[in-house]
Amino acid sequence: MSAILLVARRDYFAYIGAWGFWISLLTAPLIIAVLLFAPILLARAEPPRVLTIVAERATDADAVKAAFASNALRDARGEISAYLSATAPSLQASAVAAFDAAQTREAAIAAARAVVAQHAAPNALAAFPNPSPRYRIVDPPARDIQALRPYLDGARTLSNGATIYGALNLRRDAAGAPVIEYWSTALNHDEPTTLAHRALRLEMQREALASQGLPPGEAERLQAFDPVIVQFDPRSSGEEGVTLRDRAPSYAALALAFILWSIVFSVANMLLNGMIEEKSNKILDTLLTSVSPIQMLAGKLLGVAAVSATLFLFWGALGGTLLTMAADRASDNIFGQIAAAFLDPRLLVAFFVGFIAGYLMYGAIFLALGSLCESVQEAQTLLGPVALVLAIPMMLITPALDNPNAPIIATASWIPIFTPFLMLIRAPAGLSWIEIAGQGALMFVSVIVILYLASRVFKAGVVDQVSLSSWRGRKAKG
Amino acid sequence: MNAALEAEGLVKRYGSRTAVQDLSFRVPAGSIYGVLGPNGAGKSSTLRMLVGVLRPTAGRISVLGGAADRETMKRVGYLPEERGLYRGMSARSAIAYLARLKGTSAKIAFKRADQLLTDHGLGKVRRKKIKTMSKGMAQKVQVLGAIAHEPDLIIFDEPFSGLDPVNQRVLEETIRAQAAAGRTILFSTHVMEHAERLCDRILLIAQGQAAFEGTVPEALALAPSVALLETEGDYDLATALAPKGFNIIFDGEEHGNKRWRAKLENGHGSRQLLQACVEAGAPLSLFEPARASLHEAFVALVGDKAAIRVEE
Repeated sequence: MSAILLVARRDYFAYIGAWGFWISLLTAPLIIAVLLFAPILLARAEPPRVLTIVAERATDADAVKAAFASNALRDARGEISAYLSATAPSLQASAVAAFDAAQTREAAIAAARAVVAQHAAPNALAAFPNPSPRYRIVDPPARDIQALRPYLDGARTLSNGATIYGALNLRRDAAGAPVIEYWSTALNHDEPTTLAHRALRLEMQREALASQGLPPGEAERLQAFDPVIVQFDPRSSGEEGVTLRDRAPSYAALALAFILWSIVFSVANMLLNGMIEEKSNKILDTLLTSVSPIQMLAGKLLGVAAVSATLFLFWGALGGTLLTMAADRASDNIFGQIAAAFLDPRLLVAFFVGFIAGYLMYGAIFLALGSLCESVQEAQTLLGPVALVLAIPMMLITPALDNPNAPIIATASWIPIFTPFLMLIRAPAGLSWIEIAGQGALMFVSVIVILYLASRVFKAGVVDQVSLSSWRGRKAKG
Repeated sequence: MNAALEAEGLVKRYGSRTAVQDLSFRVPAGSIYGVLGPNGAGKSSTLRMLVGVLRPTAGRISVLGGAADRETMKRVGYLPEERGLYRGMSARSAIAYLARLKGTSAKIAFKRADQLLTDHGLGKVRRKKIKTMSKGMAQKVQVLGAIAHEPDLIIFDEPFSGLDPVNQRVLEETIRAQAAAGRTILFSTHVMEHAERLCDRILLIAQGQAAFEGTVPEALALAPSVALLETEGDYDLATALAPKGFNIIFDGEEHGNKRWRAKLENGHGSRQLLQACVEAGAPLSLFEPARASLHEAFVALVGDKAAIRVEE
């Protein structure tokens, strides 16, 4: 076996034999699943926030309470509709119709559930949502806002032990216009004021219409006017507008770019830490009589590449199976369409080419940096600027999603160290062959140049023992 | 005799500092060769150049009749001064890995690793990870890793440092056994006694330059002989024999007697010293001619200042 393969083999088994590797291998899919579903679970787990309303006019208070109730109803409808879209799309329309026909929120949820139960869809019934409203409106425990303050700053609680999250003080100014005061210690949360504002604006419109001798109910009718929006993709020959199916590739590309970035950064870090460990273990002199620095660099890159391949095989098999199942069995809903987008061969090829190029560039840079460091602390001082550079493609993801061909994105994708990530994000928007060939060639040349420069630095680090701590002069040993 | 290793005009500079200056020597095949000198004398730099880890600033090196390239290095075993092994590896895997890097097949490498560990009393811990071993055990494993590929030339850099006296003896035996098997051994040390006991030839280095190259007896011959004496009571031997040209140094008191150390130089031998003592009526309780040590030879060659860092 050649020296390169021996170094690669040893490094591979050293990583594979570590507990951390298996923990990462098994927990990463779980962590991703938790990250995906955590916001939903957290929202469900949070009890309704208790609000109270103090108002000069009872009609204002009633209008705001109605707005909160309407909002809670709309949220429940949206959640049930989305749930059925994912689990039982054929029942979605009838269940939503039953929901809309009911009189109260609780009755609406029960009616939708009954439709699902009636059609014997046990899978859809198992986790049928029973969402709590986000807010619970209670009668004010004090008659004015000043007397309410102890309840709002946490000094006092309600008789049932609940704390008041916020209070809406609705008053009228001298001209009779509504004024909304919102009192709460949660300074960044403004949804209650938004709802109250919408409700009282409607109330003002009703009053204005009434003063003109028109029916106040006209205000609701006018507000219900809602123009239809249809978006088209000029590249598509069909007459249908843009659907989620068309947008899915962009979301998939975004997710893959993030995964690619995380993996490249993780495995490059593996190389850095492995190199530092080897330097601190003082094993390099022993190895250097058998292996040249270039062979060692190549062996290490190959070893960690094999570790990555193992991760990809496991995650790829798991993810590929789940995505294929989702794409096949749920092609008519959001999950199936996004799953199908992940399996687009062009996107997968871009991902793997991006990984190989990104890994070689960042891996070589990190190995070279590691060879200059005697400790993790030293490495961290060097890693700061590198991490900032690595963060740039992530900062460009949001603007790239809005406009993949924006000048800043197009320009940045010509910078070889960003190309793997940005090319992936831009792929669904369509790249010209000139861009693909040009950026690919530039990336290929950069890989060669970076590998060459990294090997020079690596040689200086491991053979001549140049390090950060001896930067001003080469370390001389007796 | 053929040379296993030859160095001619070796120079190594680190920036403006010269670590090795115009060093030439020849290691006969099958011999045990010692490179001696204080810390910082240039021993490690010299050895690292010999195994191709460091590139000389100037000079020529011939190893086993060829250049110090990686192919030749497959026939060389090397134990660096800065020692270390992969802590997560077992002892047998570590030895086999080092042997395999030198071109030994996996099957033979593991077989030899097991055999060497058993021969050196580590058979029971051969599957233990290096990180669970004591420093001395790990060092033994590394020594075995340097010889598992059965090299023609073995180069050890300060192999005795960090070992307790028992393990130092074991390592001396290992070195003798390797030499008996026809291998050439070159090792550096700043402990002169190891070199005295083991070496056929030695190279003394001070401040990067060769102070002496030759056999141990040749080196010892350069050191003045000494005699140890003991007198009863308050008798001042140094003052009594000074007029006769003897250089005698007070060496402390023991059981009420005074101890003295006499340098035998300027044509004075032990017989003349004894005769002078008798003539002076010195109350001698001990007269012991002593063999000069390598350290004394080193001091005689390079002076006290350069030798002060040599630890005995």
